[in-house]
Amino acid sequence: MPVMTTDIMINAQQIYKSFGNLSVLKGVNLTVEKSEVVVIIGSSGSGKSTLLRCINHLEKIDSGSIAIENELMVKNNEANQAIYQPEQEIKRICSKMGMVFQHFNLFPHMTVLQNIIEAPMTVKKMKREEILPLARELLQKVGLSNKEDSYPSQLSGGQKQRVAIARALAMQPDIMLFDEPTSALDPELTGEVLKTMQNLAEDKITMVVVTHEMGFARAVADKVVFMDGGVVIEQGKPEEVLVNPKHPRTCAFLSRFID
Amino acid sequence: MDYLVNFIEQFWITLKVSTFYCIDISPQLWEGTKLTLGLFIVTLLLSIPCGLILALLRLSRLKFISFLVNAYIWLMRGTPLMLQIFFIYFALPMLGIRFQSFSTAVIAFTLNYAAYFAEIFRAGIQGVNKGQYEAAKTLGMSYGQTMWRIVLPQMIKKILPPLCNETITLIKDTSLVYVLALQDLMRIAYQLVKRDFDLSPFFIAAVFYLAMTLILTMLYQRLEKYYARYDD
Repeated sequence: MPVMTTDIMINAQQIYKSFGNLSVLKGVNLTVEKSEVVVIIGSSGSGKSTLLRCINHLEKIDSGSIAIENELMVKNNEANQAIYQPEQEIKRICSKMGMVFQHFNLFPHMTVLQNIIEAPMTVKKMKREEILPLARELLQKVGLSNKEDSYPSQLSGGQKQRVAIARALAMQPDIMLFDEPTSALDPELTGEVLKTMQNLAEDKITMVVVTHEMGFARAVADKVVFMDGGVVIEQGKPEEVLVNPKHPRTCAFLSRFID
Repeated sequence: MDYLVNFIEQFWITLKVSTFYCIDISPQLWEGTKLTLGLFIVTLLLSIPCGLILALLRLSRLKFISFLVNAYIWLMRGTPLMLQIFFIYFALPMLGIRFQSFSTAVIAFTLNYAAYFAEIFRAGIQGVNKGQYEAAKTLGMSYGQTMWRIVLPQMIKKILPPLCNETITLIKDTSLVYVLALQDLMRIAYQLVKRDFDLSPFFIAAVFYLAMTLILTMLYQRLEKYYARYDD
């Protein structure tokens, strides 16, 4: 095998997933290399969010295999049914990934700072003093140093999402997953979140971003994946997929974004 | 004129006598209040954790456990508390299980109120956004950590009004223990009324109950104020 397997962060092969009778993913393959920024685009219902949630074990797949940093989380048995690793093992593997949600999902009863230090303290059993420097550094990174004692309800949507990013980063993941991070924001607030994400990309963090922000995809992505109807239609460099799409469905999708 | 003076004099004497009477019987009523309060506090301390456990079991993914808890809640809410007290006091001894009056009261009230609290807690837990569980999961938190640190603290804010209602009901429900011949506030007031042919013990008892309820209400208001520091 000529591929340098050590650099593959996410390797999802032949993912099938259905909710009841509705099959959402129909044999999706996705590989993400170290420090790569992969942007997944596609219309609503194309399965892109579900794919992200399957990678992070928020949903269980029906068939296929997922490996994170070459550690197998789930693979098929002879009958092509997905067999998961034991719960503890999955938890350890998933701890390498952080996730940012469309609706932020900040803990409303905690201040910004408490939101960030909660998981390191309860999960990693770190002392408050141990995690505070990193927490403050992250707040500075997302430009919210002056908000550490605010409650989420006192913040704007863009600020909430930046706190959510800092909270995920506080667990020091190798991979960051973004599930439509700007879709719930007013247009004038998306910029600050995208800028924060762009800074992360410059820090060489591996990122998988599900988004409708084509400008971001073009500027930041190393690879763009276009999904439609539960399959990957086309993938490649942004200039290939976004500027010179080969597939008619990609063209049709992108034509809606041309101003 | 004489009539008016006479009336005022009579009224003054009556007021003095009844004031002395009220002061005279207050220590006895206070003794009853202590028992009422004791039963109230012990019941609350036991039934809230029990209710919480029941609520979590009710939400269990294991259908059988959820069904059992449901049946229990149906049983406890579907029969009069008085009947439950009688059952523990009179029926269980036939099986060789015997409790003192106060223990009987505590057991009956705890079993009954745990069922009501369970439903309040369940509603509160279900009112917490599903995204909170997902966020906690992606941060690596276990079920216990998620419940203890994320879900239950948010539940408390949501359930304060119904919880306040239920605790106030409990304070007054304690008067049911008269059937166990326990000397609670209500029973002592009733005995004094019968003994002295005077209704004032009832009024003093009412004042005592109102005072307890007022303190409770104020405590809950403070709690609500504390939880108002954040919005969902």
